[in-house]
Amino acid sequence: MSDRPGRVGVLGGGSWGTILAHLAAQCGSETVLWMRNAERVEELNTHRTNRRYLGETPLADGLRATTDMEEAVGPADLVIFAIPSKAFREQAGRAGEFVTGDQVLLSATKGLEPDSFNRMSEVLCQETCARKVGAISGPNLAKEIVAGQPSATVVASRFREVIQVGASMLHGANFRIYGNEDVRGVELAGALKNVVAIASGTAKGLGFGANVRALLVTRGLAEIQRLGVKLGADPLTYSGLAGIGDLMVTCGSELSRNFRVGLGLAAGQPLDRILDDLGETAEGVNTTKVALALAQREDVPLPIMESVSRLLFEGATPQEVMRDLMTRRARYEIDFDYSAEV
Amino acid sequence: MRPKDQERAIEEVVSRVVNAAATAGGQQLEAAIADTIYHERQRVQKERPSKERSRQLATWDRTRSRLLAGSDTTRRAILRELVEAFAREVLGNFDERVHALATRAIPVGLTALLRATSPFQLIRWRPGRSKMRLEQHLTVDGELDHVRAIASKGTLICAPTHSSNLDSILLGFGMHEQGFPPLLYGAGLNLFENPLMSFFMHNLGAYKVDRRKTAPIYKDVLKTYATVSLELGYDNLFFPGGTRARSGEVEKKLKLGLLGTGLQAYANNLRSGNPKPNLYVVPMVLSYELVLEAETLIDDYLREIGRSRYIITDDEFSSPRRILAFLRGLLDLNTRIHLTLMPPLDVFGNRVDREGRSVDGRGREIAIDRYLRSRDGELTVDRNRDQEYTRELGCRLVDAYHAGNTVLPTHLVAFAVFEELKRLNPGMDLYRLLRTGGAAESLTYPEAARKVDALRDRVVALSDAGKIRLGEAVRTKRGEELLVTALRAFGTYHSRPALERLGDRIFSRDRNLLFYYRNRLVGYRLEEEATS
Repeated sequence: MSDRPGRVGVLGGGSWGTILAHLAAQCGSETVLWMRNAERVEELNTHRTNRRYLGETPLADGLRATTDMEEAVGPADLVIFAIPSKAFREQAGRAGEFVTGDQVLLSATKGLEPDSFNRMSEVLCQETCARKVGAISGPNLAKEIVAGQPSATVVASRFREVIQVGASMLHGANFRIYGNEDVRGVELAGALKNVVAIASGTAKGLGFGANVRALLVTRGLAEIQRLGVKLGADPLTYSGLAGIGDLMVTCGSELSRNFRVGLGLAAGQPLDRILDDLGETAEGVNTTKVALALAQREDVPLPIMESVSRLLFEGATPQEVMRDLMTRRARYEIDFDYSAEV
Repeated sequence: MRPKDQERAIEEVVSRVVNAAATAGGQQLEAAIADTIYHERQRVQKERPSKERSRQLATWDRTRSRLLAGSDTTRRAILRELVEAFAREVLGNFDERVHALATRAIPVGLTALLRATSPFQLIRWRPGRSKMRLEQHLTVDGELDHVRAIASKGTLICAPTHSSNLDSILLGFGMHEQGFPPLLYGAGLNLFENPLMSFFMHNLGAYKVDRRKTAPIYKDVLKTYATVSLELGYDNLFFPGGTRARSGEVEKKLKLGLLGTGLQAYANNLRSGNPKPNLYVVPMVLSYELVLEAETLIDDYLREIGRSRYIITDDEFSSPRRILAFLRGLLDLNTRIHLTLMPPLDVFGNRVDREGRSVDGRGREIAIDRYLRSRDGELTVDRNRDQEYTRELGCRLVDAYHAGNTVLPTHLVAFAVFEELKRLNPGMDLYRLLRTGGAAESLTYPEAARKVDALRDRVVALSDAGKIRLGEAVRTKRGEELLVTALRAFGTYHSRPALERLGDRIFSRDRNLLFYYRNRLVGYRLEEEATS
């Protein structure tokens, strides 16, 4: 690329999209953030804030917002999609009007598409002409990053150029980028950990402490890895930032949306009220259904995720679910097909 | 290749391969030559002792001495000689006039071939069948009009699945019948061994590939030749699976090296300002009711040495008698071989419309040159990027192969019966099942017909969803009729039938063969349904 500053387009003005746009602008790229809500565009361009998601935190000067998708996508060298998985395909298809083959596209959405089981980067390939596509995923709580705390994430792509472009446009003083070629593993880890986070929130809500959290994180990771590897992921990915790293954060912090869904369930609140109160998308709720359907197809046992599904959709109580989980047959811990009973 | 292009192609190939090696530096140059000498000596040493063998070994020894004593200039000269010798050896003697003759002669020619090689068979050849009517047994279907519409707008890369050595001959003939220009393709030396077959191979556009030659430089020559010929506008035929599918499955893993020459040619076309830079990859699927070399292929696969032994020279193709038996079976059965053309792709794996323009998943036109340019419009070189583009093309080819696979009765019946035998022998591993047949080694006739019918329903649903194609028999017949058709086919050609009816039961006389035909329907998630 020439010496001109890089151009970044970010689609989606939720907390993660806004943070990524903020980081890109901090790195010196000309950054345009697309969102649907004209008032918030106005707010960001005038006051440099996105109060709904990030309070009064001031956003980088080089950042500009727009409701015109072409303005964000057309000139960009790097386009980042931070759109809820439910709307992802539709918006990717719209963006496809302006995407060209020389651009780099990254998905920042941690979800899976129902029925097709597509990962978001696959949807980008299907809905646009782009080939240089990847995913960005890791332990990144938006509110900590915007407060300027150090953090790191993974940019995954089979194209080295995508990793280079991602790193050069996002890597800053407090934000490190690691590359990984295992896109499948990274995206599956990012999506599936949200389900485990709901379980972890529920455990916390029931008053359980660190022992239970450690149990859920490690056995939850075993489930994520089992399914991921069956689908062709690299097992080592799960010991990295996008695997255990992301899971540790999501399962331990009340800043995590999916964790908060679990807290609400433990308090006996109905799901729709929990989601209303949250005001943001909790991807784990949709991902639970998709993960179980996928696991059934691949014949992979996922006891923790199954319990979350019973909690969310079958009216089981947290106490019942916890009891069932604890009374399952004893097994060997290191067992990749989960068949060896003690 | 036309004579005027032939010299030009050789010169291009030599200069490109030599320059690529030379720019890597002196030591690399020496290493490349030494490597070639090593591989060639190894190859020659494996041959039976003869004068020619001694001569070749002596030549390589002299080359080695020259290399050790020589300067950089000498090394370059040696490399040039080596590359030129390889290039001249590879190039076919293609002549369009002979091609026209050859394609006309093929139906008669195959008969002649069989007669010429086996006088005994000649006597037994039935008078009424003296002319092979190949065209009656080969159905060419799919996107013919689409491919015809774009053929003049760029260069075609025909990329078929690979089951049999008859593939290239049938394909060359089928495409000629449909009015397409001849295809250039690399064929293994063993296919040239029979002089008459060699005549057809050459004149259908084949050039010689010696798979025993393992030197990297030789492989570079082959790939560069393919690239240059594409740039010169010659339509090519590649088998992306590399060799014939040993297991009988539709290919799911492809060799991307040769396929990548399409992208390379496109990039070179952009650089040279070629007015017709586009290349179109046409996925093609050949579906056979019976495969000539099935027994050898599946045995090779099961011995798990398929990979190491990828040049089979003693298979059914080398026996004219087997070819004759096979072709007779074909005539008597009145079965068809399907050659299906799937929607054409560009070298990045995008669909191409009838105007020859690349389009995305929503039908929007794509400026594909931008895949190879920086954001500032410069053409850039990036090996990893280009490999990934070709990998994507490979994935889309595999999808097209599965969607273009035509289900024929032998596939359907073998799958249904094999899955049922698996179910009747729970917990038994594949090799034991194949070897022993298990405790329950037969099915009742009505049960087999019921299983076939149930599987047929699943396959029809797949076909309705555009995920597979149905042969006419599978489309119009039901369980028992299909069973009868398949049993008849199995009984005609192979030495031991994959399936046979004895009384009220169906037995397998050759379970490996049953497994081979069954494998054609692997990859569609039909396993569970077949046994439920």
